[in-house]
Amino acid sequence: MNLQPLYDVKERLEYAAIAGVSLLGEDFRLQRGLESLKPLAAASPVFGKIDAGLAKLLSAPADQRPGLLLDVLALVDAVAYTQAKTGMDGELEPLPVGSGQYRQISYGQIQPLLAALTTTGGGRVEVVNSAWERCADDFLDYRVLPALVGGLGDSYGEMADLCAQLLKKLGSSVVPVLKKGFDPAGKREMARRVEVLAAVEGAEAAPWLREILPGAKKDVRAAVIRALGADSGDVSLLLELVKAERGDSRDAALEALARQDGAEVRAFWEKELTAHSQSVKFLEPSNADWAVELVTAGLRQRLEKFLDGEKRPAYEDGTDLTAWCWSLGHKDAPATLDFWRWADSRMEEIDRIEDEKNHPCFFGVKLTDRLLDIMRHTGPGPLRDYCLTLFDRRPEMTRYLHISFQAALLSLPAAEVYDKYGSYILTKKPLLDKDRKETLNNVMLRALNDLYWNNRQGRHVIVAGQPAAQSLDARWIERLVHAACKPNMGHYYPFGGGDEVDGFDKNLAELANPNDPEQCAQLVPYLRRRMVETGSWYSYSQYLLRLGGSPKGVLGEAMKKGKPAAIYYVWFVLNEAYKVLPAAEVAELCREGLDAKQIRSQGREAAMAELALPWTIEQLKAGRPFPEWDEWNKMRP
Amino acid sequence: MNLTEQFILLQAPNPAAAENGRKLSKKGSFSAHSRTADDTLYWAECAGSGKNPYRVSIDFTSQDAPVCRCSCPSRQFPCKHALGLMFELLAAKPFETAEMPQDIADKRARQAARAAKKESAAAEPPKPKKPNTAARKKKLAKQLEGLDMAEKMVDELLSSGLGTLAGSSAQTFDKLAKELGSCYLTGPQTAFTRIALAVRTVQKEPAQADAAYNQALRLLVALRSTIKKGRVFLEGKLEAGDFSAEDSTLFEALGGVWKLEELNAIGSVRENAKLVQLSFDVSYDEAKKEQVERGWWLDLDRGDLLQTLNLRPLKAMKYVKGEDSRFDLIETPALYLYPGEGDRRARWETATTRPLFPEEQAKLPTLAQSSLAAAVKLTKGKIKNTLAPKFLAVLVPIGRLGKIGEEYLLEDPAGDRIVLRDRPEDGPGHACVERLSMLPKRLSAGSALFGLMFYDGRDKALCLHPYSVVTPKNVVRLQY
Repeated sequence: MNLQPLYDVKERLEYAAIAGVSLLGEDFRLQRGLESLKPLAAASPVFGKIDAGLAKLLSAPADQRPGLLLDVLALVDAVAYTQAKTGMDGELEPLPVGSGQYRQISYGQIQPLLAALTTTGGGRVEVVNSAWERCADDFLDYRVLPALVGGLGDSYGEMADLCAQLLKKLGSSVVPVLKKGFDPAGKREMARRVEVLAAVEGAEAAPWLREILPGAKKDVRAAVIRALGADSGDVSLLLELVKAERGDSRDAALEALARQDGAEVRAFWEKELTAHSQSVKFLEPSNADWAVELVTAGLRQRLEKFLDGEKRPAYEDGTDLTAWCWSLGHKDAPATLDFWRWADSRMEEIDRIEDEKNHPCFFGVKLTDRLLDIMRHTGPGPLRDYCLTLFDRRPEMTRYLHISFQAALLSLPAAEVYDKYGSYILTKKPLLDKDRKETLNNVMLRALNDLYWNNRQGRHVIVAGQPAAQSLDARWIERLVHAACKPNMGHYYPFGGGDEVDGFDKNLAELANPNDPEQCAQLVPYLRRRMVETGSWYSYSQYLLRLGGSPKGVLGEAMKKGKPAAIYYVWFVLNEAYKVLPAAEVAELCREGLDAKQIRSQGREAAMAELALPWTIEQLKAGRPFPEWDEWNKMRP
Repeated sequence: MNLTEQFILLQAPNPAAAENGRKLSKKGSFSAHSRTADDTLYWAECAGSGKNPYRVSIDFTSQDAPVCRCSCPSRQFPCKHALGLMFELLAAKPFETAEMPQDIADKRARQAARAAKKESAAAEPPKPKKPNTAARKKKLAKQLEGLDMAEKMVDELLSSGLGTLAGSSAQTFDKLAKELGSCYLTGPQTAFTRIALAVRTVQKEPAQADAAYNQALRLLVALRSTIKKGRVFLEGKLEAGDFSAEDSTLFEALGGVWKLEELNAIGSVRENAKLVQLSFDVSYDEAKKEQVERGWWLDLDRGDLLQTLNLRPLKAMKYVKGEDSRFDLIETPALYLYPGEGDRRARWETATTRPLFPEEQAKLPTLAQSSLAAAVKLTKGKIKNTLAPKFLAVLVPIGRLGKIGEEYLLEDPAGDRIVLRDRPEDGPGHACVERLSMLPKRLSAGSALFGLMFYDGRDKALCLHPYSVVTPKNVVRLQY
């Protein structure tokens, strides 16, 4: 049965409803549809009813037309539904089998995760991280995995990086999803896919990478070339690419070649570094012997040019030398020792190098800093052993003390370190050899500045992340609190609140092990004294409480010395004190705070303190807990 | 205690509360873990932002409905501390046996007394309520008055044309629609709001005009039917002086809200039902300004498909507990069913849960319609009713799934086919079809596809929006 007349009528009725039924009589198309419907009406009673309904609609007065139109439309709809077709002819192509797995994840868990991965807005990284922490396997769900891959194209870089990081952790099961719908001519998302694939599959990705390389464009091309570096069988291809490519893709080829090995590669790099000195930056991560030899030889050659003082480095030479120095990276192969020994033997000359404007170039300092950095990032071995004795062999090079001391911290028993280096901290102003002693004192203080007590790990740690061989000897604290020469070590706000703390005091407070009663006993009186001297009661009180001390007896005095205080900070410190001190002592601290009369007047805070502090004292005396901030805040007059 | 993670998530008022509870447990905020010797009460202290820890307890006197108590000031129930304590239990942290704290013992006793009182009250025959005839008569009259007004609104709207609904006329229309609410006609009121929203869509997104006008017209057709049938229904009741609830979809279409005792009174209750959830989804109803949490269920004994709706008004969102996906079998002593045909709405007051036995799981796909043709016939029968939604939940047997061009299709074992397509009204958040090609395993023989069958006016065809694949081993959800 040809139902087209029915659909034509339906369309005209709907049009009339949109345009207004008053125009219904003038709709010649509806009239024509009505005529076409007649044969159907004659053949079937239901079409007959529609026909009759239409006739009634068209002949009805205007006020009845809306209702009649809807009645006919209801009937037409019902017929359209019952006459609806189903299915489709043709060859059915089977659906592919996807990747991942099905996991029973509830709406409450999967929906926020999918929303975080597929939408925009703040807080998404936290949602994804929490979900990962809760159950990493949920990310293998067949609904989540494609969204995670899609997240590689997130406009928020941190999110895209997180997705890449998680995909790498999920391992080889993500490979099919990454390859599905891959577009070699795509943008950053596709480049990230290549990076993830290369990280997951390593050298096994090489055939696929070679396959997509011809069609790869821009970011994707660079990523593919970079990824080819994981496979040692691609040297000849990379050597070709480095000739043919330009810009980022050439850099990627250089990066990939830096990961290769062999005579051919070495020969290429020799040529490349001669032609493009700045390409040395690509050798920074390499620890291969040939890379070490090329970088150290190149650096030595560049420095030697200026050692006799006849030729002065231009600005470009300085930049070049810095790049070569940086390219030492974290290379600690035994071959580097030759370079360091040579640098040490010529350090005075290197220090003397000046530029065209007679300004020192500090190449020696840069080299020493690099050596320190390499030593801090690498484990025990010949380089650390070399560093350990560096200052002993060349005591005139005061900056070597920093390196040797930190090498000792990483290698030797705590007592031995103190016995050897403790005396460099001056506890009296020196009379003889003043400059050298003060310099060494300052070097030691700066070296100690890199060390801190890591409460989570329960040990002393050097800033780069390596733990000291043993926790610091307690005698250091005793010596440091009596330090007579303190260089300017900056000012800090460790607890916010506008309360400034001297860099030396901050380092000292963070160096002490709060679980060591001996160290705390040494430090607490010092911090109490400094609190009064500086007036920074808010920060020093917190240091004292952390180290098992108390600001009792000095709080009021320090407050008087400092600026008028915000009442919230007073409450905060007292509340912190209540967590570790007896209630009676906290009551006395309240009294000191009250008597100091140093609460600022803004926001009626001074008047509030007049009410809150005495009331709190009464509460504490009555054995009740220290009040919440809300309770104080309600007392604001 | 045999707690499962899903059980904890279902107790939570919202996913964030569960997550916060989990974090508290993970970071070790709990101390003084204690339990009674009979394992019915667990309690601990939880560090909060204040200096005093919160005292939190979970009473498992009723295993499926634990009573959570906490000294925190949170208005969420259960709070994150109680949920965190459940995670402590889940993590099998050691709980010392101790005497029950007196305050909890007192609360337990009071609760037991209340329960006993309720039970004895339930045992007694209910006192016959004296209906307030005058008030009900007045309400019916007011509703009839409202229907007249609704009819006038429909007439005026169509006389001038749907396309003219803009600017001041739209504001007047909104105002009149609100007045219907005062006439106890919230159903038609919502329908008018939906029409206004659809027409506004046309103005905002002209590209969506066809779909929006189509939606508005279907609403008008249903509204016309509601007005006509509603008038007859109400006049009949007024004349007969019968004010009791009736087994009719008109009651809801006019805006009535069923209470469980009313469903019980009309006998729309089924005893000892076993239900398995096939799918769960959440959408936002702009007209009613509420979040709709919908679960699709299969009655394991009868093979009926049912739906549950948890409606959370935006304004009271945090006070109404959210629903979530359920993977266990639900057993309820009394399943209340709303009037209607096909995928009826269901509710229950109490239920217990347990994992499905393998034989029960294997039975699920066998409860599908005998063929696609049978499902199509049922759907056509339902959607031609002007008052019924224009879709029907169906479970159809899978012969094979595949594609022709860009279209996905299901072919049943008899060789009949239906196009698989996402329902445009559901929006991109409910897109499922593409996921069929991502399914991680080949479908095992004897599987079935659960989804909503609907009429797509674009190609005048019945299509199926797939929601879940029901295999003899598991239910693979395409959404949630």
